[in-house]
Amino acid sequence: MSSSISTVWAGPSVRRGALIIVLLLTAISYAQIGDLRAPSDAIAGEPASISASGGSAATLYLVGPSIATKRDVKLEGQIRLAAQELQSAGRYIATVCADACRSVAFFVEPSKPVHLTFLMHPSRAPVGENDVLSGVALPFDEFRNLVLSPATVDFQLKVKDAALMNHGASTQDGIAWFRTNSGRSAGVLQVVASINDVSELRVVQQVASEPCSLRIKGQRSPKGILVQTDPVRDCGGNPVPDGTVVTFTAKGDGQISTVDAPIKQGVARAQMTASGPVAISAASGVVMGNELRVGVQ
Amino acid sequence: MQHRTANTRPSSRLVSALASIVLLALMTPCCVFGADTTVQVMLDSSKANPRTIEALTGRSLLRDYKFAWANLAQALETGSPAPLSGLFAGTARTWLNDEVGSQARSGLTTRYRNQSHKLEAVFYAPEGDVIELHDTADYDLQILDGSKTIHEEHVVVRYVVLMTPGADRWVVRQLQSVPHF
Amino acid sequence: MNRALPIVLVVLTALLMVVGLSGAGRSAGTVGIASGSALPGFAEKADTPEQSLGSFLSDIQRRNWDRAFSEVEKTNGSVDEASFIQEWMGANGGLRAFSNLERYEARPLHATDSEAQMRVRLQWTTPVGPVEDVRDFRLVHAAGQWKVVWDQSPAPNVPAQVIPVNYLRWDLVPGSGGDEWGSRNVDSPHVRIVSMNAVGSGDGSVVMGEIVNEDTIPAFVNVNATLVDASGNAIDDESSFDRIVHVLLPKQVSPYRVDFSRVPLNKVKSVRMDVKAALVPASSDPVIGVMNQKLDTDVQGGTVLRGDLLNESGQTVNIPHVIVSFYDNGGKVVWVSDGYVERALLPQSSEPFAVEIPKSLAGKVQNFHVVVNQYSLGRS
Repeated sequence: MSSSISTVWAGPSVRRGALIIVLLLTAISYAQIGDLRAPSDAIAGEPASISASGGSAATLYLVGPSIATKRDVKLEGQIRLAAQELQSAGRYIATVCADACRSVAFFVEPSKPVHLTFLMHPSRAPVGENDVLSGVALPFDEFRNLVLSPATVDFQLKVKDAALMNHGASTQDGIAWFRTNSGRSAGVLQVVASINDVSELRVVQQVASEPCSLRIKGQRSPKGILVQTDPVRDCGGNPVPDGTVVTFTAKGDGQISTVDAPIKQGVARAQMTASGPVAISAASGVVMGNELRVGVQ
Repeated sequence: MQHRTANTRPSSRLVSALASIVLLALMTPCCVFGADTTVQVMLDSSKANPRTIEALTGRSLLRDYKFAWANLAQALETGSPAPLSGLFAGTARTWLNDEVGSQARSGLTTRYRNQSHKLEAVFYAPEGDVIELHDTADYDLQILDGSKTIHEEHVVVRYVVLMTPGADRWVVRQLQSVPHF
Repeated sequence: MNRALPIVLVVLTALLMVVGLSGAGRSAGTVGIASGSALPGFAEKADTPEQSLGSFLSDIQRRNWDRAFSEVEKTNGSVDEASFIQEWMGANGGLRAFSNLERYEARPLHATDSEAQMRVRLQWTTPVGPVEDVRDFRLVHAAGQWKVVWDQSPAPNVPAQVIPVNYLRWDLVPGSGGDEWGSRNVDSPHVRIVSMNAVGSGDGSVVMGEIVNEDTIPAFVNVNATLVDASGNAIDDESSFDRIVHVLLPKQVSPYRVDFSRVPLNKVKSVRMDVKAALVPASSDPVIGVMNQKLDTDVQGGTVLRGDLLNESGQTVNIPHVIVSFYDNGGKVVWVSDGYVERALLPQSSEPFAVEIPKSLAGKVQNFHVVVNQYSLGRS
């Protein structure tokens, strides 16, 4: 073997031949793909070009955030990238292969904001509380790319048609947000976030707090005793929302009767059956009302 | 003399073999890719505002983001969108589904290896319903056309990530690479 | 031999059929207790109260109404077959209408030559599980045979009337923003578990307590509990199923109970509670009052909470379901019982109910809170 090897290396023509082949192949490959330049300032949804020279036929591969395609191209100056291929913002790799492959990477930036994602919380807020309302807005372009360049989002809070608050916030890293107090009156609060011509509306129900005092009155009826509350309000005078359950309890003659009645138009009503003397009370949440004593029928 | 004559044919074969070896050596890829399921993730939550990230939330974020990237790599490598289910939502899910589908049609495969992600929380909503993270991701990327490697690189890519709480985990809603933060 | 064998087999089969159909070989259980059923045409002559009652109940079981009604002794002129059938078959979509009498066991209470009283445990299979009913039947000996006395007056008719429906209804508006992120943001209702108590029960454990809807909108709630051992591993998890009022109106409180039949309490180190609350369209109608609640003793000597359900609305409540929290003198929930009322609750009318309290806890009960769940056909 060693004599064979020494025979090989002893042959200058053979060595020269191998080296020529290698150099030729390398030269050929680099001759087919010349300069490859990525597009600068590519914008989502707009066409762009990669400059490529070499004159030969090649295959273009384009891999990006939502795309991975290949097609045949000619390296004659510019390779066009269609608008549909560049809709998602982010890093793209364009690879051109003939006998060898060369790649360039480039970024596609978002275009201008045309959508606003607006997260508003809570959906129902108690009245008169500090920093209970918060909103977060994120601007997106037509292709759902988050627009990271600073933009101003206007937040407006209205009750009926009266504006309560107007606040402009600049986006940072694609997000603008605000926090504020709830109003003093129960009702529907409309919150609008807008940027350029785009706006989003959210609705917050401002609701009364716990009932402040619960007063009941009752009278005998042919079916028993009809009991009802006075209008149920919180300590701020706001009517407690309709549907809130008031539990009426009647005790007498060793028996108990209860009715869970919802508030309707501010008042809860129930019918209790009792022929003898009874003591009737009402409760809602943690609040108890007065006691009513009704005598014998 | 006979000995020398007999040695001429083997030597020409040897020349060819050596030439081939040289040529192959020039084209051998620099990295060896094998199966890789490890994803390293670190989270710096010190700058999260206006809400601070609770310890349990931080652990969940780490776990779910790591799982998301591992499954993203698997989806792109296998050409099936199934691993993405439940881990990505909204735009992120749409983009990745499109990429997987596009790959399948083109016969391409993408491989992510040796992933390391450094996350920094930059925004956590007051109600906790969205979090923005900046991910400095470091990985080996390989793109194949069939069995032929057309591109490979070791790269550091920056991502702006939006995650939202799902039923039992945090899901990635936006995964957008950017040239700088 | 070839011909003899088939003949022998045929004769033997015929003999066995006769024996079986006549009921002589029937395993009747304990002497003096009538149970099971007999095929038509082969019923015994009602020489004894047990036989009479057994025949009557087997007709009821097979829904042989004409025959069953013909066997009873009617002492009340207002008793008619229609009301008799309604009593056994149910009406107005009540639970009884979907039930079958699976078995019965009768025991004599007392008997003379002319009169007898028997106590029957009726086992019904229903869509909500097995239901047991205990009834006392009076029998009289007349015209040479024993007959079941049927003196049940038909339920009073609900008079025709117009009742205004003015209770609230909540609807969900999904928003027209499609699947846009943030466009369907309506917070889930806020509900809170206000108490939780884990006790051993038989070979298993029970987790019970109360939950309140703290929000201003209705909530669909479900309570799940996971039992955890000393190592922090989950042993078992279960749901409250129907032992909770699933749709809670604002500020409404419901008991809940989660049963773990196979996990003894001594293996449990802690309990993890999980409450799910979802937005649902809902109505605050019907309002059902719970009247005349009192602790009592039933015919079997057990402690029960009795009362009457009063439907204060204009809609029929097909299947009322009563759930009761029992408290000790410290206000702690010591038990949660439930029971279905087999009859539908007609508008402006009442139906009695009774729920059992375990004997071991009866002495601890100082107070109770009754809520009524209801299932109505064709309504959300």
